[in-house]
Amino acid sequence: MNQVVNAPDAQLTRRRALQLAAATGTGLAAVAAAGPAAATPKHPSSPVFRHGVASGDPLPGSVLLWTRVTPSEAAAPGSGAGPDAEVSWEVAADAGFRRVVRRGVARTGRGRDHTVKVDAGGLSPATTYWYRFRCRGATSPVGRTRTAPAPGAAVPRLRMAVLSCANLQAGWFSAYRHLAARTDLDVVLHLGDYLYEYGPDEYQAGDVLVRPHDPPRETVTLADYRRRHAQYKTDPDLQALHAAAPWVVTWDDHESANDAWSGGAENHTEGAEGAWRARRAAAQQAYAEWMPVRYEPGGQLYRRLRFGRLASLSMLDLRTYRDQQASSPVDPALAAPDRTITGPDQLQFLLDGLGDPQVQWKLVGNPVMISPVRFPNGLESRTVESIATLLDLPAPPVAGVPYNVDQWDGYPAERGTVLAHLRDRAIKDTVFLTGDIHSGWACELPSDPATYPLTRDSLGVELVCTSVTSDNLDDILGTRPRTTSLAVETAIKVNNPHVKYLDFDSHGFSVLELTEAGAQMDWFVLTDRTDPRAAAVWSTSWRVAAGTNRVTRAQGRLR
Amino acid sequence: MTGEVLSRRRFLQLTTATGGAVVLSTALGAPRARAADRLRVYVLVVDGTRPDEVTPQLMPRLHRLRTEGTWYAQARSLPVMETIPNHVMMMTGVRPDRSGVPANSVYDRAEATVRDLDRPSDLRFPTLIERLNATGRTTGTVLSKEYLYGIFGERATHRWEPFPVLPVTGHAPDVATTNALLAMVDHADPDLVFVNLGDTDRVGHSDLTGTSLRVARTLALRSTDLQVGRFVDHLRATGRWASSVLLVLADHSMDWSLPTGVVSVSAVLRGRPDLHSSVQIAQNGGADLLYWTGPADRRAAGLAEVRRLVRAHPGVLSVHAPRELRLGPEAGDLVVYCRAGWRFSDPEVLSNPIPGNHGHPATEPIPFLVAGGHPLVRRGAVSGAPARTIDVAPTVGALFGLGAPRGGYDGVARKEAFQARR
Repeated sequence: MNQVVNAPDAQLTRRRALQLAAATGTGLAAVAAAGPAAATPKHPSSPVFRHGVASGDPLPGSVLLWTRVTPSEAAAPGSGAGPDAEVSWEVAADAGFRRVVRRGVARTGRGRDHTVKVDAGGLSPATTYWYRFRCRGATSPVGRTRTAPAPGAAVPRLRMAVLSCANLQAGWFSAYRHLAARTDLDVVLHLGDYLYEYGPDEYQAGDVLVRPHDPPRETVTLADYRRRHAQYKTDPDLQALHAAAPWVVTWDDHESANDAWSGGAENHTEGAEGAWRARRAAAQQAYAEWMPVRYEPGGQLYRRLRFGRLASLSMLDLRTYRDQQASSPVDPALAAPDRTITGPDQLQFLLDGLGDPQVQWKLVGNPVMISPVRFPNGLESRTVESIATLLDLPAPPVAGVPYNVDQWDGYPAERGTVLAHLRDRAIKDTVFLTGDIHSGWACELPSDPATYPLTRDSLGVELVCTSVTSDNLDDILGTRPRTTSLAVETAIKVNNPHVKYLDFDSHGFSVLELTEAGAQMDWFVLTDRTDPRAAAVWSTSWRVAAGTNRVTRAQGRLR
Repeated sequence: MTGEVLSRRRFLQLTTATGGAVVLSTALGAPRARAADRLRVYVLVVDGTRPDEVTPQLMPRLHRLRTEGTWYAQARSLPVMETIPNHVMMMTGVRPDRSGVPANSVYDRAEATVRDLDRPSDLRFPTLIERLNATGRTTGTVLSKEYLYGIFGERATHRWEPFPVLPVTGHAPDVATTNALLAMVDHADPDLVFVNLGDTDRVGHSDLTGTSLRVARTLALRSTDLQVGRFVDHLRATGRWASSVLLVLADHSMDWSLPTGVVSVSAVLRGRPDLHSSVQIAQNGGADLLYWTGPADRRAAGLAEVRRLVRAHPGVLSVHAPRELRLGPEAGDLVVYCRAGWRFSDPEVLSNPIPGNHGHPATEPIPFLVAGGHPLVRRGAVSGAPARTIDVAPTVGALFGLGAPRGGYDGVARKEAFQARR
């Protein structure tokens, strides 16, 4: 039975929702159509606090609180101007701030683009708090956050949103809006491409520029990156989700430049755009200033959070330390045993986390896919070219080669080390949570690809969320959703039997739930990324029963 | 059961319902005539079974117990992942550095030979069995493997000596073991019975299709499952189910290797005669225990060199000092683990021809469930708690209200599987 629930003011038609539900193949569609946050702001934007509030990286006793103040019009983002400001903050155990449990004062100024990042300590584990800031007589919107459970604590349930690839030029952040309307999220996990570096004429919704980027050029300098962050942070849907729950974030490439690696990027011209190290340093400084993350310039972004004994979450940085991408899937360099995507220290950090016997679910915030994916036979040339566009790589010359060498497929020796670590120690319940590729996937990680079809022995699973707005296959092909792509998906699944679910077309978000019995990911897809009132339709759900390292289609969505 | 024959003083021969004969030995003066609805606990070890084999298709009866009771999804065996030490850990609740039993096979320095730890005197820590006996309760052991019968000896009130024992495997088939179990329950009805079903392990060791189809292994799993089902049906039919708690687990799991995946430490050291002649090796399938027997003043440097040479082998996962794994001096000076898909073969490359092995970390995951009709048993639960073989004794002890042994347990009582007592 189809279930369609529309808000009265939603522009989503019942027919469109049903079309989308049918196209996703679920037979059951639950549609949420919350109006744009901009239409019904809970907290009218203060001129001082025009970029919202946020929290992040929750620990059992503390959480990061973030905001940005504009004490005068001179203090425009990226300007490097404006007066210093004193910002007070308070954390309360209730939304009305009758029981304030912690308060303090922070100073900020042009040196950090007037952003404020506070590590609010002395909090209780697994507890919901509300927070706000004050500056120059203005009070910020109120944010809600939640601390992590105590170390070793039994945790009955953990729910997190899983997101990636939000290109402002390509659409509206309806995914954020729908998630902000939920009250069941402990954490929001963003796997990268939180923003894009392109100018208005470069990367949008196919041929449609939904919203132009600011500054109106590719970001290269510190001022550029600061302004770009500031623009994204003015989006009401993004602000609403930041205020709704603590975020845990990592970057992928577009926070600096497309297909970044340790010594450069595909979208960086050394010299003409300055030195890569300087550009990357600028991007990373802006990221540290503008994101609620335990990272400061020059430090390391990879880190691990724990949620009692139920889960750990190892957040990876797969751009800063990696070797340059191979030139093609048949580049002999792929076979080099010392190629790295993590760097040696981060690799050891990852292996240590996977081997931790004190937690059940070993989650990995993994910006790019680790599942091996071989390019299938039998695709016509236009489809092959479109996939190459999606991957931002040259079209593979032959079938059977890795389809994307920007992913772990381009670093097979190091992936082999990770998988061998899982296999040799019989580690269970590892879940790679991945973004980057603008499509939804549920995969197993074959222990031995040769015998996998017989044994289905799997070392872990990978669950990939789709993009919030960024182009995917039907956008590039210019075809209707769930038409042309279906054949491609089938071909990939046939050639890669460990790929159990694949949706190359949809935009949206995922919600992951962990319990001791299992993990389940729900995928929700947007009716139209270019519609600010787009609804979100439940598409599919896949489950990982505890101890199995296998994905199976779930009976229904999480309740 | 019918046909009590022979002496009631020490041996009891019973004729089973299927016409076979079962001989039990019983301690003199064993208590009899207890309440019919008293708590009964059965610890069933499905030897060498992997948790992913407990499926509706392969092991439907075990899977039903899993879904009816509490399933521990993160359960693991403990070093060394072999049969004897993990059975000992189940019944003592302490690690090998306290029990004296670190592996199946050790080098006995006093006897200057490699041997199995199959003597009652090898086990130095009081077992749950003896401690329950001391409270006036009765216990039973129905252990399919000769070396298990050997090490647990006459500790239980009622014992079954495995028979018939198959040549080469050294174990009794599960059907015979289950016959004995039913006979013991019917005749003696112990408060605790400790059972080892050895078929899945023994067949798994020799399954030449283990890396792919696992043909023989699959048949063994189905057969063992039938025997578990037979026992459950018997408890139900005889009215014992409602007062029974079943702990069903494995002692370790199983990993298969091809003939190319063999590590011979002896061969590694052959190029260094000084080391080769100074090291004794106790091979335990997926783990080798190395003992320095050379000059004492060369021990530290020699072991460091051995460690370096062995670690360089592509099939070697890691090398440990025994204390890192909470193994005592019986484990020697170095413990070497192989990688998944490999096995040790010592002293010769052909000494270990069997494809299925355990002892290495790849064989740590085990099935571990608590079921039964007793009202304390929690229904339909999955726990992520890190259950270990060593938790059996504290769990069973707690059910019987037995305190911890001197020095305490190393394991913990798995309370997740039980409702709070009212």
